[in-house]
Amino acid sequence: MVEMEKIVLKAEKRNVVGKQVRALRRAGKLPAVIYGHRVDPMAITLEAHESNLTLSRAASTALITINVAGKEYPCLVREKQRNYIKGGLIHVDFQAVSLTEKISAMVAVELDGESPAVKNFSAILVHNLTEVEVEALPTDLPESFVVDVGKLAELGDQILVKDLVTSDKVEILTDLDEVIVVATAPKVSEEAEEAEAEEGPEVIERGKKEEEEKE
Amino acid sequence: MLMPKRVKWRKQMRGRMRGKALRGAEVSFGEFGLQALEPGWVTARQIEAARRAIVREMKRRGKVWIRIFPSKPYTQKAAETRMGSGKGNVEYWVAVVKPGRVMFEVGGLPAEIAIEALKLAQYKFSIKTKIVARHDLAGEQA
Repeated sequence: MVEMEKIVLKAEKRNVVGKQVRALRRAGKLPAVIYGHRVDPMAITLEAHESNLTLSRAASTALITINVAGKEYPCLVREKQRNYIKGGLIHVDFQAVSLTEKISAMVAVELDGESPAVKNFSAILVHNLTEVEVEALPTDLPESFVVDVGKLAELGDQILVKDLVTSDKVEILTDLDEVIVVATAPKVSEEAEEAEAEEGPEVIERGKKEEEEKE
Repeated sequence: MLMPKRVKWRKQMRGRMRGKALRGAEVSFGEFGLQALEPGWVTARQIEAARRAIVREMKRRGKVWIRIFPSKPYTQKAAETRMGSGKGNVEYWVAVVKPGRVMFEVGGLPAEIAIEALKLAQYKFSIKTKIVARHDLAGEQA
């Protein structure tokens, strides 16, 4: 389990909403919103470049402190909207959390190490579960779970959710018997399939010409 | 090479490729993917060449997902034929790809090898592409 460090982002209140926020983006700002427990929804702007760098490095469960005009809001990132071609952020949802109440969040599961099954039997590791739902105080949320795949010695060996090492403060909500990673046998070469007829597909509806020819 | 098993009609109209990919624009299965940056027709031959390049580099480790399928027939008239007399013959099959579409994904292997494999695949396409990582990876890469 990896513990987290404090991340602070400076923000300003925003009155501009709707399509006008495009002008803010052009000016190097990132529109965002804070909502959550006992907090009225508040539109804010962040520095686009700094936020892009910080938020892309932070894990999904990282507690981010948003400083709006001197007042600090501890938040979790609930949603990141991206320009999926250029990759940059276009909007972020922050959920303000209470530091004394438990919340549920999705924690990433990372694989680490080298599996003997891969080395000896050319197994393929199927990473079935990339996130696990946990419940904990916001400050106790782990950044990620690191799973050592060195334990996967034979084909068919698997690591389950119950095998994850967690502290007492974190409760796992995902089904404990779900498979995180399994070592499967490699697929037999598909080259044989290629010899299949390359003639073309079967045509369901006949064109005019073909019908005429038939007659 | 990939092609449909059965089709309703033998030949299709060309169509337009306006806008961006509305679906299939995120890495959903593996850890890294190859994303299209411009619109175009990707042929079954290109897909097969890219798949071979990736599998060869991966050396039987990991897994590959092909997320596009060439379902559009491409027709061509024979050489030195006069215009008219109907549409040409189906020559090959293409996938219609719009900007943002994740065409290939790889997973279950070290990041350096995955990126190297996808780099080799990039050479096989006639459109611009980039390598992307899954966004929920802690500390996004690529």
